[in-house]
Amino acid sequence: MSASRLTKNLLLAGLCAIGAGALAATARVDDTGTSLESITRMYWRQLSPARKVDNTMEGIAQVQVRLNLAPWAGRSGRIFMVLPEQPMGPIRASWPAHGRFLAGELASGQRALVYAGPINSPIMEGLLVLKLEVDGTRLQSIQRLNFHFEIDVD
Amino acid sequence: MNHRHPRRQAARALATLACACAFPGSALAFTTTITAGNPRAIYLQLGVGGFTGTYTGGGTPGNNTTVNLVSVTVPAGAVGSGAPQAMPTNSTVGGSSYDGFVFCNTPAQLYIGGFYRFNNNTAGAAATLTATSPANLTSAAGDTIPFTQISWTSSGIGDSGAQPFPAGAFTGATQTIGTIQRNQWAESCHTFSYANSAVRAAGTYNGRVTYTLTAP
Repeated sequence: MSASRLTKNLLLAGLCAIGAGALAATARVDDTGTSLESITRMYWRQLSPARKVDNTMEGIAQVQVRLNLAPWAGRSGRIFMVLPEQPMGPIRASWPAHGRFLAGELASGQRALVYAGPINSPIMEGLLVLKLEVDGTRLQSIQRLNFHFEIDVD
Repeated sequence: MNHRHPRRQAARALATLACACAFPGSALAFTTTITAGNPRAIYLQLGVGGFTGTYTGGGTPGNNTTVNLVSVTVPAGAVGSGAPQAMPTNSTVGGSSYDGFVFCNTPAQLYIGGFYRFNNNTAGAAATLTATSPANLTSAAGDTIPFTQISWTSSGIGDSGAQPFPAGAFTGATQTIGTIQRNQWAESCHTFSYANSAVRAAGTYNGRVTYTLTAP
């Protein structure tokens, strides 16, 4: 192998290693097995419209979360729940702490921390009781909210 | 071939590394579907209503079957004089079900309030309040007084500008009293009076008006 080829291969390997490091910093988590009710019914927070109008509708979605953390077992990291931007407009989700999951809240387009610490088990399971809030005047048809989880490995 | 073997290994290593870069795990997501559970709601109260507590106090609307009465006893010397006679109500509700604010003077005025909820705020039809009155009030003896003899003014303590349920007079048929726009609370106080424009036979005359709030 010529010196130039060797240099080229080393450079490629180096670039890929850098890429691997960058991508490994944030990765999506396999949440196969996560289950929840198929439909969350949203209700007016204030059934009566007020002089100071509050058109929020809210609902509760209980999510039995199951995260496959095997690729990061033995390491430490921070796990986030992500809700992408939604066509219908802003949506807010909040939840209390439960088991190993931290309390938190997020708006669509954001992510929020649900766990931080060592990953001792290949599977992390727990219940997240999501309180969802939307502008009721924009909830004119069924909307699908796609959440996912991400991990930042320390 | 031996000199090519390390390169193949390097290629495999690079390929494996590339896969590790792109797919550290099976990236999935969970989906919840949301839908409006109670997209529309209406509430109407005339006089004594079914609101438990107040809106601002976390109260909730409910049902109340009470039918309130507005009435007048015309003094003998004034019968048919053309001088309008005030018709106070037996309702004791003067406070707004919204916040308890004393909005109407009782017993002179009858509270009328309600709301219309709809999960669409774009311009569109409002909820409509109608009143259906019979042609006449009748006495036990069969004498009658046209319902058109009864009218009302509209106001509210602290209010200025147009009332959502403005002044009017019964028509002896179904008529529109006012509207409630989407996602609004509306309330007025009605002060009823009897026109007293003709001499009537002695007696007690009764008639019932039914108010209906209709959402499109």
